[in-house]
Amino acid sequence: MNISLFVKVWIVLILLTILSAIVANGNIVHAASIILILSIFKFIGVTFYFMDLRKAHIFWRTSILVFLGLFLLITILFIE
Amino acid sequence: MQTQQLNSKNLYYPPGGILLWIVIFLELFTFGIALIAMVVYGKNESEIFHNSRLLLNPTIGAINTLFLITSGFFMAKSVHCLKESNMHKSWVYLILTMLGGFLFLILKSIEYYGKIEAGLTIGYNTFFTFYWMLTLFHVIHVIVGLVILISVFVQLKKEKSNIKIEDFEAGAAFWHMCDLIWLLLFPVIYLIF
Repeated sequence: MNISLFVKVWIVLILLTILSAIVANGNIVHAASIILILSIFKFIGVTFYFMDLRKAHIFWRTSILVFLGLFLLITILFIE
Repeated sequence: MQTQQLNSKNLYYPPGGILLWIVIFLELFTFGIALIAMVVYGKNESEIFHNSRLLLNPTIGAINTLFLITSGFFMAKSVHCLKESNMHKSWVYLILTMLGGFLFLILKSIEYYGKIEAGLTIGYNTFFTFYWMLTLFHVIHVIVGLVILISVFVQLKKEKSNIKIEDFEAGAAFWHMCDLIWLLLFPVIYLIF
């Protein structure tokens, strides 16, 4: 069966959401940072695959990754 | 209906158009800065933020995440089908996309109703000020996104439609932006404190 790329990405995104819920409910060290990192992966999945950004100019791909890096870094600095 | 595609490898033609991507970055920075401010306040008022976060229902937030992700998936499929000139499939996927958006709004309304009934309004404490401002601002984006999708849908249904693939992609990019904003809001508001 040929499962399209979009379906594969959708399954990964759903699994990451379930994983985030498990981490949030479990007694895990650095849970907040792990949840944020999982969200960043979901964000990349949506932008690069659903929005087709992987086919765009490198400027747009880099800009999104820089934004995510900055957001993650600053947020983790404050929550940890 | 024009399905001729622009070269998205060109710096000036990202999928959805350069103007929309400027809007997307502005929105992401606005929400990003507000969320960082929330985290900073949360560090200073950690007990209030933790107790307030426990008053939220993360299951509703998680289900809403699933609605938006699935809606985004259908939107991507709709654009893909349109590029292949499969109008009927594109139309069906667009309806499913909008359905995801409406389900999100219904669940959000139920959540808001519960909060207002419990007296957890915008002035209750700092956490709920951020909660209401950020989630309501996001809901406004979802409503605007749905209006755009409905207008695209109406155009698509016309026999002699003059909608271009770039217009359709721009509407889709706006819809995905709602998804992206929620992916940042959900963990910070519902899970980390």
